[in-house]
Amino acid sequence: MKSAAILLAIIAAAALAGPLIGVAFGIDPSAVDLTDRLADPSFSHLLGTDELGRDVMLRLMEGGRISLAIGIAAALAAAALGTTVGLVAGYLGAWTDRILMRLTDAVIALPLLPLLIVLAALDLGKLGLPARITQSDDISLFRIIVLAALIGWTTAARLVRGATLVTKHRDFVRAARSLGAGTPHILARHILPNVMAPLIVATSLSVGDVILLESVLSFLGLGVQPPLASWGSMLNNAQNLIESSPRLALYPGAMIFLTVIACNLLGDGLQRRLNRQR
Amino acid sequence: MGLMAAVAAPALADGHSSLTIGMIQYPGTLNPNIDPLAAKYYVLGFTTRPFTVYDADFKLQCLLCTELPSFDNGRAVPVDLPDGKRGVDLTYTIRPDAMWADGVPVTTADVQFTWEVGRDPKSPVSNAEMYRHMTGITIKDDKTFTIHDDKLDFTYAAINDFELLPAHLEREAFADPTQYRQRTHYVTDPTNPGLYDGPYRVSEVSPGSYMVLERNPHWAGRRGAFDRITLKAIENTAALEANLLSGTIDMVAGEVGPPLDEALAFDKRHGADYRVIYKPGLGFEHVDINLDVPALRDRRVREAMLRALDRESLSKSLFAGRQAVANTFLTPLDVGYSDDVPHYSYDPARAADLLDEAGWRNSPDGIRRNDAGERLSFTLMTTAGNHSRELVEQVLQSEWKKIGIDIKLKNEPARVLFGETLLHRQFQLAMYAWISSPENVPRSIFDSTEIPSAANGYSGENLPGYNNPKMDELLKALEIELDPEKRKAMWAEAQRIYATDLPFLPLFFRADAFILPKWIGGLRPTGNQYPTSLWVTDWTVKP
Amino acid sequence: MTRFIALRLVEIAAVLALMSFVIYGLIGLMPGDPIDLMRGVDPHVSSADVVRLKALYGVGQPLFERYLAWARQALAGNLGYSRLFAEPVLTALLPRLLNSLALMGSSFVLAFGIALGLGIAAARRPGSVFDRAVNLFCFAGVSVPTFWLALVLILVFAAGLGWFPASGIATPGNGGLDDRLQHLALPVLTLTLTTVGSYTRYIRASMREALAQDHIRTARAKGASERRVVWHHALRSALVPVATVLALSFGGLVSGALVTETMFAYPGMGKLIFDAVMGNDYNLALAALLLATATTLAGNFAADLAYAWLDPRVSYQ
Repeated sequence: MKSAAILLAIIAAAALAGPLIGVAFGIDPSAVDLTDRLADPSFSHLLGTDELGRDVMLRLMEGGRISLAIGIAAALAAAALGTTVGLVAGYLGAWTDRILMRLTDAVIALPLLPLLIVLAALDLGKLGLPARITQSDDISLFRIIVLAALIGWTTAARLVRGATLVTKHRDFVRAARSLGAGTPHILARHILPNVMAPLIVATSLSVGDVILLESVLSFLGLGVQPPLASWGSMLNNAQNLIESSPRLALYPGAMIFLTVIACNLLGDGLQRRLNRQR
Repeated sequence: MGLMAAVAAPALADGHSSLTIGMIQYPGTLNPNIDPLAAKYYVLGFTTRPFTVYDADFKLQCLLCTELPSFDNGRAVPVDLPDGKRGVDLTYTIRPDAMWADGVPVTTADVQFTWEVGRDPKSPVSNAEMYRHMTGITIKDDKTFTIHDDKLDFTYAAINDFELLPAHLEREAFADPTQYRQRTHYVTDPTNPGLYDGPYRVSEVSPGSYMVLERNPHWAGRRGAFDRITLKAIENTAALEANLLSGTIDMVAGEVGPPLDEALAFDKRHGADYRVIYKPGLGFEHVDINLDVPALRDRRVREAMLRALDRESLSKSLFAGRQAVANTFLTPLDVGYSDDVPHYSYDPARAADLLDEAGWRNSPDGIRRNDAGERLSFTLMTTAGNHSRELVEQVLQSEWKKIGIDIKLKNEPARVLFGETLLHRQFQLAMYAWISSPENVPRSIFDSTEIPSAANGYSGENLPGYNNPKMDELLKALEIELDPEKRKAMWAEAQRIYATDLPFLPLFFRADAFILPKWIGGLRPTGNQYPTSLWVTDWTVKP
Repeated sequence: MTRFIALRLVEIAAVLALMSFVIYGLIGLMPGDPIDLMRGVDPHVSSADVVRLKALYGVGQPLFERYLAWARQALAGNLGYSRLFAEPVLTALLPRLLNSLALMGSSFVLAFGIALGLGIAAARRPGSVFDRAVNLFCFAGVSVPTFWLALVLILVFAAGLGWFPASGIATPGNGGLDDRLQHLALPVLTLTLTTVGSYTRYIRASMREALAQDHIRTARAKGASERRVVWHHALRSALVPVATVLALSFGGLVSGALVTETMFAYPGMGKLIFDAVMGNDYNLALAALLLATATTLAGNFAADLAYAWLDPRVSYQ
């Protein structure tokens, strides 16, 4: 688990340091240089160049920023949504609980990938969203984050509901209530801290899932669009050249693989530690 | 990765009596008149004969008829119509030996039926423009008929879209025109030999996966070299190439094959084991400019943008020079092509001067501004998921940035881009291709009445909003000019006006790549929309 | 119990009806329509043709009216005609459904078999090198991008070594079992590698739990052989939760494996649904998505029943 955490930290640090390194080496990651396409690794381009002569290492760092941003943002959004649903369902109980949990079951039961495809191809203009949003540069990014959150919240919802059900009958919660604390206060102060640990585990596992999901959407042409690039879209673009320049596919594929496996091992390690504490 | 170098030799075992062709698309319906789709036309090239087509020399050719109508041979007779326009009567004779593959002769009954299908407003024919002009038809005998066309232009002899349907099978399916789409035998019984009059017929169909073609036993023309032709659909181009290497398919159809950049990469690696033919075609890649955008209305800005592009090196490095740089909207293969037009070679210094002249001056952030302080910044759109275009687009962005123009990229799926955005002219710069046909007069692109607007129900293809009365007049006159020599001069003039006005920026003519095994000869890519499969009987097997 | 079953069936029907409308609406929210698509392909389709064809196919009508028209026909047993495949919906659907069942089914059996072996072996030696290796293997499997794995397998085993065909379901003109199995090899391998990890982890976890239970300890204390303890006593109680996972995976059999199918040009349900949705083929997309949803719901239902049947502590009233 420690090695997974270190690996993730290195990947994240590299992604964040991308622009700095670019400045330090005097390389612009988006500058096209047609005279230097598909170059082999050299001192000026440590991992070589891509089909437009851009520095692969810097592009990987840029792509990593997008991939990690999508993964983390979507996992957090899913956790927030799921936590809200879980807290409300668990604390209020009765019919609210029944309806929310039926909804959760229903979302789990749906064939998700096909539905995602439909959602990813939606015309946001037809939904009545203002043009300022639908025309924005980063719309492909937000769309993926929202989609991943929409399908990913169920795990957190179930976890939090379970923990809430257990916690709400504990003495300290009863005490707080008898002292006149309002429901929001009790939820935030007394119940949420107690469900934090399993929630963190679930979230770290879902960062990996989202990164994989993004690569699938990119494969289907529904991922982030140029000028943005993620590992998924880089991998997808490189598959055409996998024979002549396997490097270009190898790197982003390896980055996805390493990041996802690190997230999973980290989540698994946290889970074990949590179980031991109990 | 070392394993990839080991390439299995193409299957040689069966002495080449059969051929397996890979394509990236599977045709839906095989009915020639419903749903246009490149893969369908490729299959139909083997199995049906249109009356007329343009061949690899861009010459009009009779395939199903005996000779082309002309004023000299008396088969074309100009007619003055009551409304003052000039029409034409065209007489064709079906080849005497033409037979459907079930042994029924091809006759004028089929012609009459096809015309009825094309004219019926309830029929699902997708391409009814030609039928709208065919106001009547007179049947002379079993093989000869006359079409009454209400429009006389110089391409009068071409009835390329007249794709014959077998009346003996299809008439009953057409009883209810609204149901024809579902009931046509091309859908319900696609292996019925009576549907095909070409050298081959469809004998086995596995929808979405493959089709097997066998010889038409009643074919009277030259015999094809293969007993069996299998057409396999493999959508993922990387997988398609792997199939080629593993010998699962023998060749790739250029018309429905992988994009040029991938074919080039394949060629570079495995070219020694295959014969790769590159054929520049009619696909005209260009950047459409919305002339309603104030900054872009200035011709100097447009010329500066073109001069800032090193299209030669772009084509050389991305497409190994296979995509010819375009100076006009006509391909050099076309009869009307003229090189006597202004050329805008790569000249960034001149581009910068032009922008200065136009009032766009350098500013500290590297992006030019005018006196009002506006930034010289545009949005460039193209079809999302088209790898080649996405590459070119990023090069354009990078090159234009060098002369101080900021470009934002925004790509949309083809269905959105063509179906909505471009149609409603909600763009600034858009890169895509026009696919015309030989000697096609581009009135819908240049004519000022063809600017899509709410008033005309968003019809027409003049997306830039180009308006030059001289061009309007010239193209109108060109369309009905019957003298080829005069026409040539008019074509040259139209291209001169275009290259002077620059309503859109010419980039390249798209090229298709045909990846063939070394043992196939005689295959000649046409460079136009008529597929090589129409001339399958010319394909030979080398020993 | 009967009441429970009846209630669940009503619920499934209600969810399906709701889903049909939601899916119809969502496809309606996608940009463009079939005729616009056609126009993008062929510049010769003139504006007049577009107007005529739109009227002919009724794409101009309000969404809700079109949905009602579809629903009426569907309830009468007419699922309509697939525009994209140029076939009636059922004719287009059935062969692909069978293909998907063959692909998903064989990979499921294989993955489950491997997972059973690995999971039990790992559970018996928790913390050992073997256990850790299995754990890493599991995570590697679920962490690899599927299309990347598929591409590598094609390049190595089809293009490189030539052991298996790279694509399709059968050699044209040869429908033999042997031939079909060869075509299945690489897609099944891809799917198995990417799914075996989660099954293994599941089995390992429930097996460990089972081995720690009192009656297992009792059995051991009574001197039952290790083999009998593992395969008879522990496995039986470990299988209760595993049966649930099994039933839950049921839905996947029908919705197919889009990425794997695309990479191997394997005509299955995943690719069909994708093409139908992207091609605006309402009839086909609806039928396929509803079938997938119905199967998933049925799987969940079966999971509940299996749970009740295998575990006597659970009862439904």
